[in-house]
Amino acid sequence: MIEIKDLHKNFDDLEVLKGVDLTIRPAEVISILGGSGSGKSTMLRCINGLEEISSGSVVVDGLDVTKKDELKAVRKKCATVFQQFDLYPHLKVIENITLAPVQVLGVSKTDATNKARALLESVGLGDKADVYPAQLSGGQKQRVGICRALAVGPDYILLDEVTSSLDPEMTAEVLEILKNLANDGMTMISVTHEIEFAREISNRIVFLDQGKILCDLPTADFFSADGGMADPRIAKFLSKMGTGS
Amino acid sequence: MPDLSAMLEHLPAFWGGFLVTAEISVLSIIGSFIVGLIVALMRVSEAKAARLFALCYVDVFRNIPFLVLIFFAYYGLPEVGVYIDAFWTGCLALSIAVGAYVTETLRAGIVNIDKGIIEVAKSFGFGRIKLYTKIILPIAITSSIRPLGSVFINLILTTSILSAITLGELTSASKIIASTTFRPFEVYVFLVIFYGALTFALSALIATWHKHLNRYNEV
Ligand SMILES: Nc1ncnc2c1ncn2[C@@H]1O[C@H](COP(=O)(O)OP(=O)(O)OP(=O)(O)O)[C@@H](O)[C@H]1O
Ligand SMILES: [Mg+2]
Repeated sequence: MIEIKDLHKNFDDLEVLKGVDLTIRPAEVISILGGSGSGKSTMLRCINGLEEISSGSVVVDGLDVTKKDELKAVRKKCATVFQQFDLYPHLKVIENITLAPVQVLGVSKTDATNKARALLESVGLGDKADVYPAQLSGGQKQRVGICRALAVGPDYILLDEVTSSLDPEMTAEVLEILKNLANDGMTMISVTHEIEFAREISNRIVFLDQGKILCDLPTADFFSADGGMADPRIAKFLSKMGTGS
Repeated sequence: MPDLSAMLEHLPAFWGGFLVTAEISVLSIIGSFIVGLIVALMRVSEAKAARLFALCYVDVFRNIPFLVLIFFAYYGLPEVGVYIDAFWTGCLALSIAVGAYVTETLRAGIVNIDKGIIEVAKSFGFGRIKLYTKIILPIAITSSIRPLGSVFINLILTTSILSAITLGELTSASKIIASTTFRPFEVYVFLVIFYGALTFALSALIATWHKHLNRYNEV
């Protein structure tokens, strides 16, 4: 369980998160929506300590991310997939996936490689194990990014606009994979602009506005006329994103 | 008339000097790389004192003429009881002086790495040591290999200055041959060829290595 309580985050004078409370239970899939600059990425980055929190608390399965050794354990539980893929350019696809299991978790090289091959196979990239990231398309890179995250056997997957750098066709192939993961019961926190995708995979939708949670509703309620849509800011956001029927 | 064949009988003397130059070059390249690597890591470290030390080191050694540095080490240090022979004075001075340039080259390679890649590694729980050995340094060294090559070629050329502290390397050997044969033209043509052979060999090595390290950038 991830428990975020009264989370504040400042960058110097700029207050980006102004008291966020959010609890994520196992097997939940949560989508975080909100305008640009509303603090979505910052919130996600606070969960695994990529940003130091200014006040409040973030606790993952009882581990406090502000404590150095507990943060280490948190990082082993959470795996992130980033918008820009950020694969290690100097390592082959297979090594990109096995690096953290071998170096951080101490898995044997053989076990890690076998698992990585199976993961690649499952996302349709079985033949790309031995090429370098520079030789992949964007969609293929992101599928490798997802394999890399899954390879550490995470309890939580954090996704930050993982399809924003992809064209529609590639977006579809990546979303398909994430949908399967959600169905398999993986706990996911996904920042996204893909409203339809959010609607399809999430149990809950969290709408962030200027550093505060404007609403946190079960998906069906969020999209109903007397739920989230009743709030003009949300209705406006959704109509701008081209959905919201 | 210039007569290059007159040099043939002096080839052993050239060869002796060449070997000293080659030896000191190889040792100093290794030495300056180690020094440069350590100082570059200090330069990007989180510890303020280490960063300050590294910065001073680079500034000092990039601003002392190399000739002055070796005179100081070879003629100055004995006065305070430190005796090092010409060969090791040369190796040490080159390692330290060229190390300053290696530092700056590697630092550029490190700071130019995409921040996202480093964040990914952190998010997976890589500690500092593994972050550097498995990700940052391999990428930084790969991108710095060509500029490092220029630094090391300069190092080879700088070894000729060591003739000023009586080290019997290539340039001093040539001076001696020139003064005994009175044929400076032919002697210095040979000298150029010998230096050319060394720098060419290094360039070829760097090019091969560059190609090998950068294999992942090919599409
Ligand atoms: N390292 C930083 N230093 C200073 N300001 C920052 C930093 N990172 C983010 N910000 C600021 O914090 C605010 C929230 O940024 P954040 O990236 O969390 O927004 P977001 O909701 O993810 O937006 P987007 O949808 O555009 O990705 C922005 O105003 C941004 O400029
Ligand atoms: Mg963002």
